[in-house]
Amino acid sequence: MKKPVKIALSVIFIIALVGVIGALYMFNKGHKDLSKVNPDFVITSTDLVKEFEKDEAAATAKYMNKIVEVIGPVHYLKVEENKATSVTLQTGNAASLVICSFSTGIDPEKFDVDKMSTIRGEFSGFLMDILLNNCVLIK
Amino acid sequence: MKRILLLLAISFFFIEAGAQKYMTKTGYIGFYSHTPIEDIKADNNQVAGILDISTGEIVFQVLIKSFHFEKTLMEEHFNENYMESDKFPKSTFSGKILNLSSVDFTKNGKYDVTVEGDLNMHNVTKKTTAKGVIEVITGGINATSRFNIAPEEFKITIPGIVRENIARSLEVTVKMNYLPLEKQ
Repeated sequence: MKKPVKIALSVIFIIALVGVIGALYMFNKGHKDLSKVNPDFVITSTDLVKEFEKDEAAATAKYMNKIVEVIGPVHYLKVEENKATSVTLQTGNAASLVICSFSTGIDPEKFDVDKMSTIRGEFSGFLMDILLNNCVLIK
Repeated sequence: MKRILLLLAISFFFIEAGAQKYMTKTGYIGFYSHTPIEDIKADNNQVAGILDISTGEIVFQVLIKSFHFEKTLMEEHFNENYMESDKFPKSTFSGKILNLSSVDFTKNGKYDVTVEGDLNMHNVTKKTTAKGVIEVITGGINATSRFNIAPEEFKITIPGIVRENIARSLEVTVKMNYLPLEKQ
């Protein structure tokens, strides 16, 4: 083969390889590790609930897809059949709490009832409570 | 005497009225798609629901973003391309147990039920009927159901390239563990 053709083929091969690796990475990437990402908001569970009580639509728009770090006392911890774990924080409003869903296993010892906790998660929406997903425990 | 009886009757009514509603905020809804190319499964453990045992009314609220897939990329496509969850963040079902009288909520046991109501998803509302089982247990009520839905019925467009990767009919599984409203 002529030299320029060889070089061209090698370049194409390398580009293709990078492409395949890139695609595989995208395809197999897990959820973002939020312990390594700075939160967009840091707020207490009580203040967060007050914003939704005041104007649900505005608060939903403000927090949608953002990373929120919430500080509040633990209400309870729940482990599902499929190991999905959620920690609920008190807000001073019995009807509206903050529910944090953890995608990786967590240590129940760290979540005693009434213990002040700091949890960072992605805001997913508001049903009767504020729902955070992909949560990590900060403190 | 009459007054006391009236007061008793009213207070009894209030106690009873409160005792009719059951609720959960951590209900489960999952869906499953099977094709020769691949199987796709998504789980949502943040379903909010209320069951009124006196009227048979049953309501569900689901956040689309709370459906979790094994592959993050799939979850992103699901939210951004198919469900457009930034535009339509919730899905709701509002319906009634049709054969309410065949369920004895005072007796522990399993009862077959048929539920009919409006299922709203992706801004499309469709009348949906499903069979399920209500299980009365001490201190609570469990409800399970399995039914099928077709994405096209909710104007969810799946591009031609991946159309064969997703089943025409998705199997939906519901598992709710309700507690009395005052015990939340």
